[in-house]
Amino acid sequence: MENFLAVETLIILLLLVVCVVALVVRRVRLPYTVALVLVGLFITVKQPLAFEVTPELILALFVPPLIFQAAFHLEFNDLRDNLVPILTLAVPGVLLSTLIVSGIVALGVGLPLTIAVVFGALISATDPVSVIALFRTLGVSRRLAVTVEGESLLNDGTAIVVFNLALAAALTGSFNLVTGVIDFLWVALGGLGIGLALGWVVARLIALIDDYLVEITLTTVLAYGAYLLAEQVHVSGVLAVVAAGLVGGNIGPRGMSPTTKIVLYNFWEYLAFLANSLVFLLIGLRINVIELTSHIVPIVVAVGAVLVSRAVVVYGLLWATHALGSRARMPLAWQHVVFWGGLRGAIGLALVLSLPRDLASTSQLEVMAFGVVLFTLLAQGTTIQFLLKRLKLSERFPPIVAREVRLGRLYAAQAGLRRLVDLHQDGLLTGDVWAGLRDEYNRTNQRLADEMTQLFVEHADLEREVVLRARREALRAERSALGDALRQGLISEDVYRELAGAVDRRLEALTLIGASIGAPMEDSGE
Amino acid sequence: MTGRPIVCATRGGEASRRAQERAIALAREQGAPLIFLFVADIGPLKPSKDLVDVLTDELEQLGASLLCIAQARAHEHGIEAAMVIRRGAVRPALESFLREVDAGTLVIGAPERGAEHPPVFDPAGMDHFAAQIRAGLGVEVVVVE
Repeated sequence: MENFLAVETLIILLLLVVCVVALVVRRVRLPYTVALVLVGLFITVKQPLAFEVTPELILALFVPPLIFQAAFHLEFNDLRDNLVPILTLAVPGVLLSTLIVSGIVALGVGLPLTIAVVFGALISATDPVSVIALFRTLGVSRRLAVTVEGESLLNDGTAIVVFNLALAAALTGSFNLVTGVIDFLWVALGGLGIGLALGWVVARLIALIDDYLVEITLTTVLAYGAYLLAEQVHVSGVLAVVAAGLVGGNIGPRGMSPTTKIVLYNFWEYLAFLANSLVFLLIGLRINVIELTSHIVPIVVAVGAVLVSRAVVVYGLLWATHALGSRARMPLAWQHVVFWGGLRGAIGLALVLSLPRDLASTSQLEVMAFGVVLFTLLAQGTTIQFLLKRLKLSERFPPIVAREVRLGRLYAAQAGLRRLVDLHQDGLLTGDVWAGLRDEYNRTNQRLADEMTQLFVEHADLEREVVLRARREALRAERSALGDALRQGLISEDVYRELAGAVDRRLEALTLIGASIGAPMEDSGE
Repeated sequence: MTGRPIVCATRGGEASRRAQERAIALAREQGAPLIFLFVADIGPLKPSKDLVDVLTDELEQLGASLLCIAQARAHEHGIEAAMVIRRGAVRPALESFLREVDAGTLVIGAPERGAEHPPVFDPAGMDHFAAQIRAGLGVEVVVVE
């Protein structure tokens, strides 16, 4: 019991740290995940926590919600439209990356080739959480974001399968290419098959049920159940979760009420936030800075190998797919982002921590993996925004920025005027001073309103967007009022559900309309 | 009011404000009645069955808001415009309405570049549609950039 309380206390403290970092990071220009790693490092340097980060903890507890949530939001159509680059980077890309990294590491660090291949595989999975978050913030092209996210989802599975095959070869000292390919296909397709089947079953069940608590619980069972079942039968748990998330996210919501959808999206967003935050905090807590500095040469070689392999995979394979006739050509500027955005994270660390202690060079592989993850997070994660700006990929449509600026000024000026009215009514502002200030504020408000009108003349679509957003705000106010009425006992639970469901359906309709006219309602998953 | 009506079809796109102003100016010049038309077409949105009614309703509400704004603009210029909302696919609904009111002119905004998904008209499709309307219904089509 004491042990349980100690673990609970530790979790609460970690969550508190997560909250503080999440709030502070808003004020500093640092990706959230990077800040978590830095805080973890700081805590470790000050006072190391008696805490063991096991691979099971990361792979079985934290990875399923992260992958499920990402897959859940990925639309089949988007995936299909970008399938060529995604599959190219996620399957042959991982294989090529494994070969290049292992070759460079074997030569540069002097590791046996079989061990180097294990390292090449475990470090090949990308984990661009902070990059994707940045894409959303900066409004980068959806297609680019889908490619980066799709690659990271699928290459996790590929890397784990290749890692297991490489590890078996390293431990037994033998490797048969034909058997290896068959094993690879079995593990990968088996995982996908289990995920697809479970996803379909749960989607069918959800269609029969109208109870959001049960439906959300079913998706939780789906995410973790797909992983556990796949691992039980020795196929890829990660790919099972990817497939389950894709089916669950694309077919499941068809059978859900709008209320369920809203609560479900919030639930998975929160779970993914928790998992993501704890994973990166634990990465920081697990890294031993002193050990890293004493292995600087192998780390530098490993980082170099990862960068070289990433460049060959991104530029080389994407060029090859185009040369082979694929129409899905990716602009060079996007390729730079895919290259530099190929951060490494939780999967690589979970895999390196799962290495048996009796395997030669395990501790060296650990240090190298931690070094690579730290480099990609600190160097690439903190500079990707600069790259996006240099490549002009984060530039927003000027009229939208202009509207926001005017709205902001108008909002501020009206708040200022309201305060002046308060002061005047309290008798603290009188006579000519009051009249002068009031008139000046009124002139400013009128000027800003005129500027807004002129902007709408030039870009009437902005006006349509304002109408849509205003309607959404009104509907949200209606929903909130229904909640108040329920709490005050004015309406029963049944009536609340019916009326709130009707409002939710309208909100969903607005989301569809917004998406169709290129004016996404940003909290469509609220 | 004399002459055949001027119909201004609007969806609130980038060029819609300019199209409305052009339609208002034409109505003043010709002394013809002005009708603002919004077609609520949920087809391209591919809604699930349970959303069809509410989506149609919301789209019509959006249309009504946009038409009210257009009507107010016309009023400022001394024109009392009518507003009409129709349901269905945009092209047939437009054609049917033009025929119904025996319109003389259709004013419409040029296709947006990449804003609508999928677009109602691409530039070539718009030219073809305009030619069809001119030839088939004898309606003058003004496409406003």
